[in-house]
Amino acid sequence: MKGPIFELRDVWKTYCMKGVETNALRGINLVIKDGEYTAILGPSGSGKSTLMHIMGCLDTPTKGKVFIEGREISQMSDDELARVRRDKIGFVFQAYNLIQGLTAIENISLPMRFSGHGRGESQRKAKDLLAKVGLVERMHHKPNEMSGGEQQRVAIARSLINDPDVILADEPTGNLDTKTGKEIMDLLESLHKKTGKTIMVVTHDTRLAARANREIRMIDGHVVEK
Amino acid sequence: MIDLALKDLSEHKVRTILTALGIFIAITAIVSLGSISTGLNQLITESTGSIGSDTIFVMRTFDMSEMVGPPGSYQIEDMEREDVEFLASLPGVKRAVPIIARQFGGMFEVDAVDMDNVDLFGVENVEFMEGTWPDNEDKGAVLGYLAASTMDVVVGDYIILPGSKKDIEVEVMGIFEEGSGAYDLVILLPYEFGDEIYETDGGATQVMLEPTDVSVVQEVKDTIEEENDDLDAMTMQDALSMMEEATGTLNIMTFGIGFVASLVAAIGIIITMYTSVLERRKQIGIMKAVGAVRRMILQQILEEGLMLSAVSSVLAVLVSFFFVEMLNQVLLGGAELALITPALAGGAIAYGVLLTVLSSMYPAWVAVKTDPIKAIRGVM
Ligand SMILES: Nc1ncnc2c1ncn2[C@@H]1O[C@H](COP(=O)(O)OP(=O)(O)OP(=O)(O)O)[C@@H](O)[C@H]1O
Ligand SMILES: [Mg+2]
Repeated sequence: MKGPIFELRDVWKTYCMKGVETNALRGINLVIKDGEYTAILGPSGSGKSTLMHIMGCLDTPTKGKVFIEGREISQMSDDELARVRRDKIGFVFQAYNLIQGLTAIENISLPMRFSGHGRGESQRKAKDLLAKVGLVERMHHKPNEMSGGEQQRVAIARSLINDPDVILADEPTGNLDTKTGKEIMDLLESLHKKTGKTIMVVTHDTRLAARANREIRMIDGHVVEK
Repeated sequence: MIDLALKDLSEHKVRTILTALGIFIAITAIVSLGSISTGLNQLITESTGSIGSDTIFVMRTFDMSEMVGPPGSYQIEDMEREDVEFLASLPGVKRAVPIIARQFGGMFEVDAVDMDNVDLFGVENVEFMEGTWPDNEDKGAVLGYLAASTMDVVVGDYIILPGSKKDIEVEVMGIFEEGSGAYDLVILLPYEFGDEIYETDGGATQVMLEPTDVSVVQEVKDTIEEENDDLDAMTMQDALSMMEEATGTLNIMTFGIGFVASLVAAIGIIITMYTSVLERRKQIGIMKAVGAVRRMILQQILEEGLMLSAVSSVLAVLVSFFFVEMLNQVLLGGAELALITPALAGGAIAYGVLLTVLSSMYPAWVAVKTDPIKAIRGVM
């Protein structure tokens, strides 16, 4: 049997700003199984983003251990972490974080280019993904020529290009109106259903969260399972 | 990822062009100055070929400090008949060829030399455009192309040479082909006739000596200088080392100017690349966040630098060809002095690229160190 995709053991994250210490995470213990669809709720400042960044290999814990498919990430070098981000994890951000100078198709193909694939091959796959998120006609548009919902769909397509096992989405609907937000959540949900990818979504919307298999609440750097 | 680097360069056209200009100026300076050094070196090699390398030049001792004024305005005093005879009688001397030399017009030179011995003068292979050599008994001369065209004469015309004591008429008997180098500027006549015109009474401005064997060159030179205080003997070796000294100075100058220009270019590259990296921190952070390893980031910055420098260095070399042509045509009156060899051109391009890659190192390192978290959280 395949082990859990994520395992966190007593994970702490402490920020130090001008001598003031903030404990963003205070001893998180969490196991996420392969194929789970998890929603994370919690008030602002409770550490949701910090947790997502650590699980997404963008940041490392101050204390404790994080395992991804049994491999411990706190021992990894910058480049090893980058490779895990590239190959295993697709990240979707609240602020989309597309590269302004590049078109939709170029943005989507970027992670595939980073893994050594050629331009043509990467753009072919990017085009397929654009079709999946319903944006083929926006292929050559730059981010500032697209709406927020369209940009987020491009970002989702980008997160999928290297066929990752996990999608981590940190408030993907935070900048969108209710209707567009729902469309994005539908898209993530269908991904889970069709491909069985492990999905974790941070949201403030309890109704959207209720559609997940599992709900996790964060309060003050602690995880409270519902 | 060349396409991405290109995209970035074209998005900041002004900045790209300014940096390219810095590289361009540095490389143009290096190639143009370097071409003069290269040309001089070539000239030295060629002149050793045309004049016998064992020839000894003898003239009256002169004081360097008196050589002021424009080139050609200083006339070395002539040697007496006895001096010439003394030189001819020395052991180890096979041939002694006296030459009466007079400068005029700041550019032209009259040389009176025995017509049977012009080979020692290095002129026997020069082609004629018109006419031919005068005989030793003739009252005529051969003119270099530029000398003839300046004076507007053809074969059969008569001229009076400047400094001629009794306004003796000289018949133009031959004109050299155009592009015969230094011989474009020369007027050659038989020694006897020159002696008559300038009333040198068997004397000479310079005597060229051909030794019996190359091994006695130094010996002959030493004997002359020991036995006659008034005479200076210069071997081809001496002349070569003097010219080499001159090219050495020029090389140092090229190096100095090249160094300063490179420094300015390098600072320009560092500043532009650094600004470009700072401006793009968010973009670089996102690239890292979605899986770019350090090498990818480094590669993109260096690729930008490479393209920038390759294009501007190649352009610089092309424009230098044009500059050097102008220099040769306008300043040096058609003499092919400055020379861009393939080695010089290739070396300069390689240098421009290397300079850029080295200067891009620090900005590239700053790019590599970008923290993806900051880009994600929107701190940048
Ligand atoms: N770089 C940092 N330096 C200092 N403190 C930080 C830093 N990043 C985050 N924090 C602090 O850590 C705590 C958790 O932040 P985090 O962004 O994880 O919260 P969040 O739950 O995602 O909030 P929100 O819902 O507003 O996005 C906050 O108190 C925040 O101020
Ligand atoms: Mg957050």
